[in-house]
Amino acid sequence: MKILSIAVVAALVAACGAAVPPEELVDARDAYAKAQQGPAAKYVPADLHVAQEALATAENQFNSDAGSPDTVDDAYIALRKIQRAVALGIAAKADDDKAMAERDMGKTQSQMLNSDERKLREQREQIAHERDDLAKAQQETAAEHAARVEAEKKAADAMDALSKSLAVKKEDRGTVITLSGGVVFATGKADILPGAQTQLNQVADALKTQAEHHFLVGGHTDNQGNDSINDDLSTRRANAVRDYLIVHGVSANAITAQGFGSHQPVGDNHSPEGRAMNRRVEIIVDKGGG
Amino acid sequence: MSKTNLSTFATALALVVGCGGVPKPEARISSDEGAIRGAQEAGANAVPEAALHVKLAQEERQQAMSQIEHGDNHRAAMLLARSEADAELALALARQAAATSDADKAREADESLKTKPE
Repeated sequence: MKILSIAVVAALVAACGAAVPPEELVDARDAYAKAQQGPAAKYVPADLHVAQEALATAENQFNSDAGSPDTVDDAYIALRKIQRAVALGIAAKADDDKAMAERDMGKTQSQMLNSDERKLREQREQIAHERDDLAKAQQETAAEHAARVEAEKKAADAMDALSKSLAVKKEDRGTVITLSGGVVFATGKADILPGAQTQLNQVADALKTQAEHHFLVGGHTDNQGNDSINDDLSTRRANAVRDYLIVHGVSANAITAQGFGSHQPVGDNHSPEGRAMNRRVEIIVDKGGG
Repeated sequence: MSKTNLSTFATALALVVGCGGVPKPEARISSDEGAIRGAQEAGANAVPEAALHVKLAQEERQQAMSQIEHGDNHRAAMLLARSEADAELALALARQAAATSDADKAREADESLKTKPE
């Protein structure tokens, strides 16, 4: 309203051709019009109002005494006050912008912190899982080791027990269990005698404890009779023992049978004792380990 | 009234009339000085545009002092008012420069944080 009245007065003066406003006043009017559109109006209205009053003073001075040096001075002062309000408006807006950027930065930092914390939590959980898995695997390994030790002890104990009633020898080819042919079979036959079943049951029990080993049942004869008969008889006797052991719990996959006839004597075939030693069934337990 | 007293009164009257009836603008001298000092303390001399107005203020102040010496207190008061307006503008410009610089830095820091690789 005040500006309007100033403008009307200025227009009237101009219409009368009374006076030309000084350059300072023209600049001040222009600067004030622009300041009203800038940040000063929003952020520093009180300072802009002070500038407006200074401009009004200048306009009044111009209207009362256009040619006076005071008119130029008042317009100059008004211009400076307007410029001051503009500068303070920009500064206040910058303060606002800064606060906004800092709030935004705080928000971003908070989000990043949350993200870092989430990742850290996930990593910790993963480490905990891996630690659990490792502990579990160690427990399993320890249990397997204990079971293996136990099985090996059981196997050794079984072989020790067997060695008290049968000939058990450790050789390069493995552990050799020898059954006398005269005890297990009747002469010229491949049927297991009832009296041999106790020994064979002991052998079966011992072999069942020998996990991861392979067994070869070898049939042997003395040199009486021809090779063809002896080879056949030794093969049938070996198969008979293998079948008995399988029936009594030894894994079929772990046991094979072979007849050697009279070709691998262990005693002198010229003596009755030697021939008796040669008539035998050997069960060879390999050294195992694959 | 004695002759001496009359003479003294006449002399005093002549001085007042000679000075145009306007007293020395003590308050303006003081407030202007404070405004210039305030602008300088706010770092106006480090901001080119603000420094210019500090200089204008100082020159106008010098002119005002000269006018006082010549007995024109009214003109001196107007020059001091100009000087103070320039000093206050210099202070505002210094504040504007500092605030916009701070805002730019805050914005850059925010942008830098947002574009920071993980």
